[in-house]
Order: sequence, then structure tokens, then C-alpha cells
Amino acid sequence: MTKKPKAAPVASKKKINAAERMLNLLALLSVRSQPLTLKQIRAELLNQYSEDGDAARAQFERDKSDLRNLGIPIDMITLGGAQAGETAYRVNRNNYELTDMGFTDDELQALQIAAATVRLGAQEGEQALWKLGAERVNPKLGPRASIGFADPHLGTILHAIGKRAPLTFLYKGETRSVDAYGMLARKGFWYLVGFDHLRKAQRVFRVDRIESNVSVGKAKSYDMPKNVDIVKSVPTERQMMAAGDYEHSTAQVRVHASLTRIVARDFGAAAVVREEADGAVVFEIPCSNGYAFRLWLFAMMDKAEVIGPPDVRELVVRWLDEVAERA
Amino acid sequence: MAKKTAKKTVKKPVKKTPKKTAKKLVKTSAKKPVKQAARPVRSTKRRGPRSASERVAGLLVLLPWLIKRKRVRLSDVAKQFRMSEEELIADLQMAAVCGVPPYTPDALIDVFIDEGWVVAEIPTFFSRPLQLTSAEMYAVVAMVRAAQKLPGAPSRSVLATAVSKLARLAPEVTDSPMHIDLPDAPHLEELRSAESESAELRIEYFNPARSEVAQRTIRVVRIFSEHGHWYVMADDDKSGAIRNFRVDRIESLVRTGKIFNQADVASRLDDDAERGWFGDNLELVSLRVRGDAAWIAEAYPTVSQSSNKDGSIDVSLRITSEHWLARLVLRGGRNVEVLSPEKYVSLAARTARGIRAKYN
Repeated sequence: MTKKPKAAPVASKKKINAAERMLNLLALLSVRSQPLTLKQIRAELLNQYSEDGDAARAQFERDKSDLRNLGIPIDMITLGGAQAGETAYRVNRNNYELTDMGFTDDELQALQIAAATVRLGAQEGEQALWKLGAERVNPKLGPRASIGFADPHLGTILHAIGKRAPLTFLYKGETRSVDAYGMLARKGFWYLVGFDHLRKAQRVFRVDRIESNVSVGKAKSYDMPKNVDIVKSVPTERQMMAAGDYEHSTAQVRVHASLTRIVARDFGAAAVVREEADGAVVFEIPCSNGYAFRLWLFAMMDKAEVIGPPDVRELVVRWLDEVAERA
Repeated sequence: MAKKTAKKTVKKPVKKTPKKTAKKLVKTSAKKPVKQAARPVRSTKRRGPRSASERVAGLLVLLPWLIKRKRVRLSDVAKQFRMSEEELIADLQMAAVCGVPPYTPDALIDVFIDEGWVVAEIPTFFSRPLQLTSAEMYAVVAMVRAAQKLPGAPSRSVLATAVSKLARLAPEVTDSPMHIDLPDAPHLEELRSAESESAELRIEYFNPARSEVAQRTIRVVRIFSEHGHWYVMADDDKSGAIRNFRVDRIESLVRTGKIFNQADVASRLDDDAERGWFGDNLELVSLRVRGDAAWIAEAYPTVSQSSNKDGSIDVSLRITSEHWLARLVLRGGRNVEVLSPEKYVSLAARTARGIRAKYN
């Protein structure tokens, strides 16, 4: 690799690539103490911008917007005096460089292990790690979790929550306007808890089911309520089974001996009604939400049978007949 | 990885011409490609060339990272940043001729490659990292919060002090009401200690593919959570292969008293488990799901998915047994139909009739 040529290499080049030009522009604007006009920039970055004035302007605007998208703001200053009305450009390194975080080696190492054991499935985690001076590592042992951070709405929503800015988005075909209170990652999904202005009540939204872009309103538009428990606001599967409007709130289900331990663990000893001679156990299981109850029941196939109340038993028979008659 | 060497006062001239380096590269990169567990975020197999702004963005992260370390092996840098060595060399070569007018040596970015090492000793430009974007900050905080909940997670308090340092930059991020709920599972702690002590286990495991509980002897390779469930990847005596078991379906577990050789089991990982969840030798079925059965498309690893105009989704997935598929289509009810193979088209109806018989 050629290194440190004596003569200015760029001056002799006919065509310079855009990445190189962008780096040179950033270096130039970062080190010069005075803001520079485009004319001055073109004179300094000899031959790097087009000789044609309009083309050079277009190239410069593109570089400027690319840099801005990388988080490097370019200040624009309108000059006075002899250059009155001309625009000059400057980059303040403090606006884009990370201040020294003062992480100890132990802290960096702990962050590396955290990153290695929690998979985000998004580039942001690694990018952050590198910026903080850490690296990707691959520990051999220990449990790892995957929480998924790839949904493009997440950053927007979290940022808006930090600013208390209301969100507007399309959800189940309706435009919802939500004062977001918090988020929960559970079972591979992200949930948003907030006050839904359409329903005039607190609601839970699954982020991957948002059907539009998320637009963010004015900051500090609402107050954070003190007593909202975000985790408890999102119903668990078991709560879903109990949350519904079916006329019967529980059903008695006989579970085959081979599965009783798993059911007892999920629903607790209090759910046990009786044990039968063949090892089967009858459980009292919530069924207010028929759909959730059905998913749970049929997961056990012929190893579980609803024995009462009669209405629920009949309902199960109807479900089975519906499927049985299809073919 | 960042091996520090005694600081040199005189910079060595570059010994290798770019051509030579590139030639040597072909040899080193002909190695087996690194396998990725899941969706790689920054695969080396990019579609098309990188844009100018992508290259600049990469360098602005890479350069400060290198300057902090001063000397790093080229191959390590490429691996760390998921780049090919060719790409990396091209980017570093480009950076080395950038700087400020008059582009004299001291006004250029100080980075070069020396005998397979990337050297960036003297900070000139771009020696400080870029600020974290807000999404990156949230990603770090999410990572830390999840890591602190992992069983056996070391350094919870160290992570807490790291986060408190981040809080100086963005308190609204570190205080964010963002919660991570990892699934509970019994036996997790016992599995973890068995893993770290290479202890073989005997488990009673509920197999949904047969709706029965069976005894198996397993040797733990890895423990992970995915989609709300904990799994243990283990070498299984019953199937003779490395398989994933759902931890909440383990009814009981005891140590057999035998200690296994981690390296032996790990060496088989490439052949078995990394191929995917179930391997490719399993039967492929196509389903059409709609309405309240659409969860099927989200809950299982699918081979392909496509949406139809009427809102239904066609998914193809690999199944472990007919029993497992029967259970799936029964749960899906009238909103799932088997498209192929033909022999399973009436499976749901047959299964429902079988269970219905209990209710006569």
C-alpha cells in the first residue's frame, strides 16, 4: 500500500471517488478555524469537485446531505462584509465526536459480553459497540437471548417516548394517536403501551403490526403517568385466556397422565380439581377467551378433554365438527 | 485482539505493494466461509458495490477503533467488521490518501498495512469515534437490560456503572421505560451449571411431535432464548444428533455423573445444528393461513412466505412429524389449509374426527 507520497496525490488525479472527496471535505471543514465558502472549498480541494459550477454545487450538496445523514451536521453561516450574502460552511467536531466515556476495561468487557449474549438482529448494537471502542466477542458458555431490535419503528417510538411526543400511526385499519408510556419486549415481539386518543383509554399495540410510518408530534405534549406498570399492562398468554367475554369463565379439563406435570406447572396447584386412578388430572382452566383457550386445549390433541360445564364441552364439539366436516 | 507493541519512533516504509497483498489475500480468504447463526446483519455478501456514503460511514467507525488499538491483524479487523480483506484494504488505502491540503504526509490520515497488520499509530483526523445515534443508544440499553436478566450473567454491577456513564450523554435513553421480559423457565440454572461443568444429563422431555414424554440423555452445547422460549441445543442420544429442546418441556432432569468432552460435541455443531432448526432432510409442507391462524406464519421458522391478494398467507415449513402437523392444523382450525403434499390435505379433518370420538 503506497503511503505518504511526497507530492499532493489528489492534484494529479483526474477523477477522485466520492467517498474520498467526502472524507477530504469533512477533514477540511473540521480543521479550518474559519468557515469556508463553496468557492474556497473547491479551491482547496483542487480538482475534486467538478469544474462546472452547477455540477460542483450538486456534488457538494450531495456530500453535505450524506454527511448529515451520518450524524455530522455542517453549520451554514451567512457572511457579511466583503462577502456579504455568501454562505460559508463549517463543521464543529464537538457536534459529532463522542466525548470520552471513561469506560474502564471491565466495563467495556462487560458490554462486549452483553452484546455477545443478547442478539438484537440489528446493526445498531454492533455499531454502538465499535464506537464505544469495544469489539464483538464470542463467549463459549452461558445462556444467550434474542430480543430482536430490527423493527425500524423502534428507534422512532423510543425516541418519542423520551421526548413525550405523541405518535400517530395506522393500526388495524384505523389511525391511532397515542401518548406512549413505555415499551415491552416479550416473546419475540415489541409492545407499545400508551393512551389511545381514539379509544380514550390505555391500550397495548404490537409494534410489528403498525401498518404505516410512525409520525411524531410535538415534544412535551403529555405527562408521564406515575403508576403505569408497563410489564403488567401487556397481558400474558394465561391472562389472555382469562380475558374475554365468553359466558363461562372456567372449564374442567381432564389431562392425560403424561402431560399433567406441565399443566400443573403452568396453572399452579390451585388449578387441580382431582386426580384420577389412571394418573389423569382434572384441572379448572380459564376459558373466558375462547380463542386462546382453544389454542391451549388443542395443543394437547387427544390427551386433553373438556368434561364440563356442558356448554363448554358442546362448544369444543362444535369446533371439532367444523374442522372435521371440511374435507 | 488489539496487541500492543512497543511504540515505534520511526515509521517503517510499507513493504508490500498493494498487488502483492491482494494476491496473498486470495489464499487466506479461500477458507470456509464463517457460518452465521441467524440473519447476518452485515453480511460480506452484499448486493452490489457499497455506496460512497456507506464506505465513509464504515471508515469513520473503523478509524477511531484502530487508533485506539494502534496495531491489529488485518484478518482480525476484517472479521470483526464483517468485511472481506479486499474491501478492507481498499478502504484503508483510500483513507491513507485523504486528509487536508496540501496533502503532505503529516496532513494525511495515518494508517497503513505492514506485514498483515493494520497500523494506525498517530492520531490525526477521525481519531475520535462518532457520537452514538439515538437508535444505537437504545440498542445498547436494551442489550444491557436483557443481559442483566440472563441467568448467571456476570458483572451485573459493572454493566450498571457502564450504563450510568452513558446516562451522562442521554439520561432519557438510560431512563427509558423500555422493558425486557425474558421467559421464565424451570431448570435453567441447572442447565447452565451442567453446561459449564460439561455434565451429561438425563431428562424427561415432552415431545410435541408425538405428544408423549420420553427419557433422553443429553449433552448441552448451548442455551438460548428465541421467540419467548428457552431452548437447549444438545447432543441427544436418542436421535444421535444435535437437537434443540424447549426448556419448558423438560419435565425433570438429573445428572448421569458422566462428564463429556465439549470439543467433541462442538466439532459436530457444523454438521448438525448449524444447518438450521430441523435440517433439510425433513418433509416440506405448504399451508395457506388467514385471520386468526396467521400466527402460524410468525410462530415457526418458515422456509418461505408469500401474501395473497385476499389477505391470506402461503407459508412453507419443514415438519418433524405428521403428528406435529396434525396438531398445528387442528389449532389453526378453519383458517388453515394444507396446500401440499396431497396426503395431508385432509389431515385436520381426520385429526378432528379422532378427537371428536372422545366426546361421543
